[in-house]
Amino acid sequence: MTTVARFDRVSKQYRLGVTRTSVPSLISQAVASRFRPGASRAGAASLIWALKDVSFEIRQGESLALVGPNGAGKTTILKLLAKITRPTSGRVSVCGRLSALIELGAGFHPDLTGRENVYLNGTILGLKRAEVDRRFDEIVAFSELEQFIDTPVKRYSSGMVVRLGFAVAACIEPEILLVDEVLAVGDAAFSLKCLQRIQSMLDHGTSLVFVSHNLYLVKAICRSGLYLSKGQAKYLGSTKEAIEAYERDLHADRARRLEQAKRADGSSTAVIEVTGVEVRGAGGSENGRLRGDKPAEVLIHYAAFRPAEAVSVAVHIVRSDGLTCCMARTSLDGVRFGVERGVGTIAVTLDPLQLIAGEYYADAHFLNASDSMTLAGASSDWFSVEGSALSYEERSGVYQPNTRWRQY
Amino acid sequence: MQTSIGIRASARELLQATDLLWAWTARIIRARYQQSTMGWLWAVVQPAASVAILTLVFSLFVRVDTGGTPYVLFSYLAVVPWTFFASAVPDMADSLVQNMTLVGKIYFPREILPISAMLARLLDLGIASGLLVVMIIYFGVPSSPILWLYVPLILAIETAFVLGLGLMAAALNVFNRDVQPLLRLALQVWFYASPIIYPVSMVPAQFQPVYYLNPMAAIIEAYRAVLLYGTPPDAYLALSAVVSVVVLVIGYWLFRRLQFQFADII
Repeated sequence: MTTVARFDRVSKQYRLGVTRTSVPSLISQAVASRFRPGASRAGAASLIWALKDVSFEIRQGESLALVGPNGAGKTTILKLLAKITRPTSGRVSVCGRLSALIELGAGFHPDLTGRENVYLNGTILGLKRAEVDRRFDEIVAFSELEQFIDTPVKRYSSGMVVRLGFAVAACIEPEILLVDEVLAVGDAAFSLKCLQRIQSMLDHGTSLVFVSHNLYLVKAICRSGLYLSKGQAKYLGSTKEAIEAYERDLHADRARRLEQAKRADGSSTAVIEVTGVEVRGAGGSENGRLRGDKPAEVLIHYAAFRPAEAVSVAVHIVRSDGLTCCMARTSLDGVRFGVERGVGTIAVTLDPLQLIAGEYYADAHFLNASDSMTLAGASSDWFSVEGSALSYEERSGVYQPNTRWRQY
Repeated sequence: MQTSIGIRASARELLQATDLLWAWTARIIRARYQQSTMGWLWAVVQPAASVAILTLVFSLFVRVDTGGTPYVLFSYLAVVPWTFFASAVPDMADSLVQNMTLVGKIYFPREILPISAMLARLLDLGIASGLLVVMIIYFGVPSSPILWLYVPLILAIETAFVLGLGLMAAALNVFNRDVQPLLRLALQVWFYASPIIYPVSMVPAQFQPVYYLNPMAAIIEAYRAVLLYGTPPDAYLALSAVVSVVVLVIGYWLFRRLQFQFADII
């Protein structure tokens, strides 16, 4: 397979704080860099390394996930790949047409209609007018905005903008697709449609670089992963291993903060963190498989940095297509929990689980006592439910109540 | 590290993006006129209004000797190319800053933004020229159509100058927003330093070589020569051409030097 993009010891330095540069110094800087390439006259104090010495390559049809905390350099990598910015040192080589979903609808102009914006955005992404002509119907059909295509984009809802933006970016048949956390917006059905589209593009040889904080999505889509921290590549390998490396560091960091919180009371701003969410069958589950007709238990492991008299807990069970199947909330059930500083676990039993066969995960959140603010949250791993219905085909529904049939 | 791609590669990239250039120019024009009733008429009304004022002041209150040419025509002929210059350069200077979200999110040849801003003003020039043709016919000036062939050349020189200055201003404005007000101030002075309200013959002879360092002076005089006086442009136009090309080369060079920092600064 051919290499479509390569990072060779790439570093990127950003300047912090400086918002204006005097015009004479700009000109002299431009002249100086002409004769002394790479010379930088900026003071070292205001500079930060967004990326340091990162190397990797992406082959045709490969999918690479970038994982890591905020500020790790994930978006910087996408911007370098998209040629939006240049590396301070090292080499970035990319061949093939790029389509960057760094921000959907970034090229849309509010006063123009959807139709005009499709052409504008398509040409910004590198298509000829005739090429947009050819794909126009497909783009509109994908976005499901036939009715609104001649309406100015300023009257669109944000979800509609996202739909049109994704449709344009996906329909230009890029060789490399860069996706940055954009599937979080829009409704679940459209997110699923986008994911299916990405999957089919991968099958047709498009390469993908994917950034998301949703590690489940990352695992589902990408085969390899790069874990970044503070601009440095910490781990490059399979997605699973990269995520594990990331999570190990997260746990270590959490333990360190807990330690700090113990020593200096009240200095930590975070109240609580969810360290893990587990779903297991009450009768003991085998390798993550649960039975729909048996009870299941969701365990929320937490680390509290400060004691709290009352917290509220919410648990959602989400199906793999993004549908939230059910919710359990302490405030609705009239239950109150207080937490002491340190680690602990809160569990909720769903008896019986009643979900039909399929893939799910649980989302757990801590909220303040009045339910008005989310304090912390995390998701469980995927779990499978087995049941009598085969799987969630369109006619099999969402849940399976306890049924009793009789005839009067 | 390589800081810039070759000039030939970037020129090729720009050529491949002509569809984008037209689409973006159309966007600017559509956005400008969509919510106005007068629409493209503004392209005529604006220069016509300033000419009306100039005519009132300089043919009634203060008499300016135009050598027999009606003052309305004399000044309108200068105001039209001047308006192109004085509106295109600030528009180009703003073009990157106004579209920073785009610059920071998507890659495309950055020159598209200032060049489109200029093309949109070039359309205004075309519209305003319509009235100019009507006036020339109405007043029946002693011009010969052969000399009109000079007009594309003069326009090309002016466009090169606008392009060079505009690219420079656009790039620098990203880094320092003083550029924009400074430019407005400079244009105010520049208006009086160009032969718009008066003929060059009123400039003392010993100052004329210095006066003609301003390319707009020879450009405006050249338009008048071929369209009003029926004479070919004088040799100072060649000096303007040289200055304009030098400005264009420097402007484009500076733009290409700085363009890779745009997304980092915004």
